[in-house]
Amino acid sequence: MPKCRFEDVEISGVVTSVPKTEKCIDDEAHLFGGNLRQIERLKKTIGLDRRRVAGSGITAADLCESAARRLMERLDLPLAGPDAILCVTQTADYSQPCNAAVLHGRMDLPKDCAAFDVNLGCSGYVYGLWLAHSMIASGGCERVLLLAGDTISRLVHPKDRAVAPLFGDGGSATLVRRKQGAPPAWFSLESDGHGADHLIVPAGGMRRPSTEATRQAEPDASGNIRSPENLFMDGSEIFNFSVREEPRALQEIAAYAGLALTDVDYFVFHQANRYILNSIAKRLKLDPARVPVKTVERFGNQSSASIPCALCAELGESLTRQPATVLLSGFGVGLSWANAIADTSGLRVCEWIDHPETAS
Amino acid sequence: MDLKTFIENFEDAVDGIEPGSLSEATAFRELKNWDSLAILTVIDMIDAEYQVTVNAADFQQCATLKELFELVKKRKKA
Repeated sequence: MPKCRFEDVEISGVVTSVPKTEKCIDDEAHLFGGNLRQIERLKKTIGLDRRRVAGSGITAADLCESAARRLMERLDLPLAGPDAILCVTQTADYSQPCNAAVLHGRMDLPKDCAAFDVNLGCSGYVYGLWLAHSMIASGGCERVLLLAGDTISRLVHPKDRAVAPLFGDGGSATLVRRKQGAPPAWFSLESDGHGADHLIVPAGGMRRPSTEATRQAEPDASGNIRSPENLFMDGSEIFNFSVREEPRALQEIAAYAGLALTDVDYFVFHQANRYILNSIAKRLKLDPARVPVKTVERFGNQSSASIPCALCAELGESLTRQPATVLLSGFGVGLSWANAIADTSGLRVCEWIDHPETAS
Repeated sequence: MDLKTFIENFEDAVDGIEPGSLSEATAFRELKNWDSLAILTVIDMIDAEYQVTVNAADFQQCATLKELFELVKKRKKA
């Protein structure tokens, strides 16, 4: 899709909520046949370490709800204020209705409020921001509440070394609203469905419904165990895709915005893993101090919640004190990737919280 | 493209390999450190140093470092 530019729209606040339960790769030597050396290499090279995971009673909707309640409270705005609520998730509570409808009810929002989901993962937060900006720019909405969150840890097989130690869970809430005079924001959105098989849950949907056979876990050629209802990732294909498309896409969005990459204060990537982020940064010769990469080692790869979590956990204090030009970049499942350049001068809240376990 | 430099780059890309310990005849897939992480770091090295994309299946077609070098060289020309 062609690139686009918006004016008079601001991002007012972001809150990310993570489950309290923490797992650490150090405690999972059994997954690696007791090979501690391999665990050290994974920690050093990929940046795997700790991750926050939702227990069976916590869903992406729960995490997004606690983030939304905190966000509106901190912004001193009524929860019932937004004209639209938009959920980005691939781990919804139900195949229907959508999370946005469920949360519309749980948060007791008024009827004159649009509510719908967007089924995207790693790129989803940037797509969601673009939609929110579009809805406001078109004149239909004053305020859009964007909720992006996933519980991918619940889709991975615990004995699949390729994904189990990598994925964490999180939910985020972002308020986007009309603000006369707000600086421009630029977006680009791209897709390559030929790579749909590289990151996929093959069964459990309409194409291959759940049966006893699809629930049966078996070892693959590398000895990783999963069933067709678990998440599969072809790591090398995802890596090749990332270093092929991302550097080009970043250069294009910067050129479109009339900026040099050195004019950007922070490059906030989907926190896939530290190795991929460093590889992209190296190819673009980005200053490492401007590229947050520590979210994955503290929280895990949180899919649609990883960009807001990186904003909140690594840059929150700095961004609310000192406005900055940020480049947000999501890439992954689809394959799908999206980039945005935005100014954070409207950002009043940017923080992360532990999900209150007693929440409804 | 130079085979000696390629082997040095390979040694550098795979964690835990002594510099100078490998040769063109090395059956790299039988190295103790050859795992999914090494596959990733070698794919990255080949992309960064030679602007050639290889995937996990390509390694299966090569027995030795010389064969891997030839594959990269052929693809670079193509």
